[in-house]
Amino acid sequence: MTNNGPMDAVEDIIVCRDVHKWYGNFHALRGVTTTVQKGEVVVIIGPSGSGKSTFIRTINRLEQHQRGDIVVDGIELTNDIRNIDAIRRDVGMVFQSFNLFPHLTVQRNITLAPTKVRKMPSHEADAVAMELLERVGIPEQADKYPAQLSGGQQQRVAIARALAMQPNIMLFDEPTSALDPEMIKEVLEVMRELAESQMTILAVSHELGFAREVADRIVMFDEGQIVEDLPPDEFFNNPRHERVKHFLSQIL
Amino acid sequence: MSTITEPTTTQLPPPRSETGLVGWLRANLFSSGFNTVLTVVVGALAGWALWFGLLWLFVDSDFTVIKTLGGLLLIGQYNSEQACGEARNCFWRPQVALLLVTLMLGMSWAVAGGGLTKRIAILVTVVVALFAFLPYSLERMGWDVRLLLVANVPALLLGWALARYTALGTWRWVAILAVVAFLLTLVLLRGLPGVPGLQPVSLLYWGGLMLNLLLAVAGIVVSFPIGIALALGRRSRLPVVKLLCVVFIEVFRGVPLITLLFMSQVLVPLAFPENFPLDSLLRAAIIITLFSAAYTAENIRGGLQALHPGQAEAARALGLPGWQTTLLISLPQAIRNVIPAIVGQFIALFKDTSLVYIIGMLDIVELSRKFATSHVENGMLPYLDDVHEVFIFLAVVFWIFCFGMSYVSGRIERHLGVGER
Repeated sequence: MTNNGPMDAVEDIIVCRDVHKWYGNFHALRGVTTTVQKGEVVVIIGPSGSGKSTFIRTINRLEQHQRGDIVVDGIELTNDIRNIDAIRRDVGMVFQSFNLFPHLTVQRNITLAPTKVRKMPSHEADAVAMELLERVGIPEQADKYPAQLSGGQQQRVAIARALAMQPNIMLFDEPTSALDPEMIKEVLEVMRELAESQMTILAVSHELGFAREVADRIVMFDEGQIVEDLPPDEFFNNPRHERVKHFLSQIL
Repeated sequence: MSTITEPTTTQLPPPRSETGLVGWLRANLFSSGFNTVLTVVVGALAGWALWFGLLWLFVDSDFTVIKTLGGLLLIGQYNSEQACGEARNCFWRPQVALLLVTLMLGMSWAVAGGGLTKRIAILVTVVVALFAFLPYSLERMGWDVRLLLVANVPALLLGWALARYTALGTWRWVAILAVVAFLLTLVLLRGLPGVPGLQPVSLLYWGGLMLNLLLAVAGIVVSFPIGIALALGRRSRLPVVKLLCVVFIEVFRGVPLITLLFMSQVLVPLAFPENFPLDSLLRAAIIITLFSAAYTAENIRGGLQALHPGQAEAARALGLPGWQTTLLISLPQAIRNVIPAIVGQFIALFKDTSLVYIIGMLDIVELSRKFATSHVENGMLPYLDDVHEVFIFLAVVFWIFCFGMSYVSGRIERHLGVGER
């Protein structure tokens, strides 16, 4: 694995060793081994059904792996509920379909977890929410309901919601795939800003322009395995595997 | 090839045939030969039915039986000599219970801050108070009875002021006090031995609309949380919990309510000692409640199934523990989505309360029917022919309550913005 993270002190924040996952008889992850360092931005690409979403969902235990080890921020993912909850508090996630809570206002969507899980006083949580909404550029939408917002705005709220828990790692599962072209840009802008703030980011995304500019590494999945893991320049200009060339030729 | 049009800002009016009454009639009722025939035939049938219906209502019908029934319709034999003693001074007790209702309505009005709640509160109170000015007697209606009816107006205002100017003005307090008021109502109606004026009245004599409403309110309030618990239990990953809930739900849904009521009367005494303290009315109330809970559970489960799995995933990903995910994310959305089904279930429950005639209770339906067919005056059965009037009157009474529930649920849905997502 590459070791050119941007931090001086290299610290492995996600360590996966020989991770396997089956859905019934279907072998979805077939021995994934990789390491992500603190502050690194890793973009994951691959054909649909290649296991890339499944992989990032195992990192906060939305999917359970059946073999191998995953250690996140020093905590090993086991069946121990306390470990799982501790990791989830530490790992923010943004989904393809936003998954905002439609019955709560934008502000409440953001303050819910900090007040309930971190026991933050509500005035403090409100202040944090407003700060985050400023950061993603939509403070004026605080009192609206998700359905009243555009897709791009909803996804930015979803990012703010995840950030409100002050995570050390952010997972993005195809965050722009459900968006109209003119809204993709505003979400990528927020992600870019996040990447520049030294956040550790794991993103499944087909925005190759974004990957080229922001990623430290691009990882390609195929048939449940990592088939390529290179810095963007090399990945695009000099991929080692035929499958990468084939995939790139199909989506470019 | 497309025709490229220049951008224009003028809007053309719709064609004449699409607007107005004539256009509507032509489009909807006379669009083809078959439709024209259908319209004429159905119209003739409806006109014929309406003519004879109105003829009967205004010429032939005789609603004296309802007038004679009077207060019996409301409380049954509660104030009779057998029930209340020779003094027959028990009528004030359901009346005070009614005052508690208007008091709670007043509080709800203040907490809701107007709107629909205010309109309902005022409407109910005014209708109740107007009963005081009925030209005939409801139930040996002295000035005290009439005064207690009028007192609903100050009770409403008192409730409003209480919620407006004290710390009691929150939904939490209103809910707690409503439960307290309901329990107080039960004590008031049942009586307390040894307390003057509160001589015990056997449950056997509870009747009339009062009985239907008590059973419905208790059934709705108790069955709702049980239904939620059953729905969650049925989705539980613990096999024993799941099995118990499935068995409970399927048993209560698979057997007609009337059969369950029979069984509660016939089988329970066999299984328990003779002096088992569960009164037959209580047993009926429990059966109705559990029956309703089984249906409510399935409605709520339907709402939970319909939720996008991403909702719970997002909550879990934020670190919310499972029970908070259920309580704060899944249930509120699920219940909101199945309000129409749940209200339908509550309406059915209210109508089903008239099945307590099975255990010999005189609810408003059975009481009126029995009165019409067996009331003897001067050796005659004067109301024997008036069962039509009785049932039409009962239909109107039930319809008013059920439509009221439907209307309120519609307003709640609109308020919560259901269907706008």
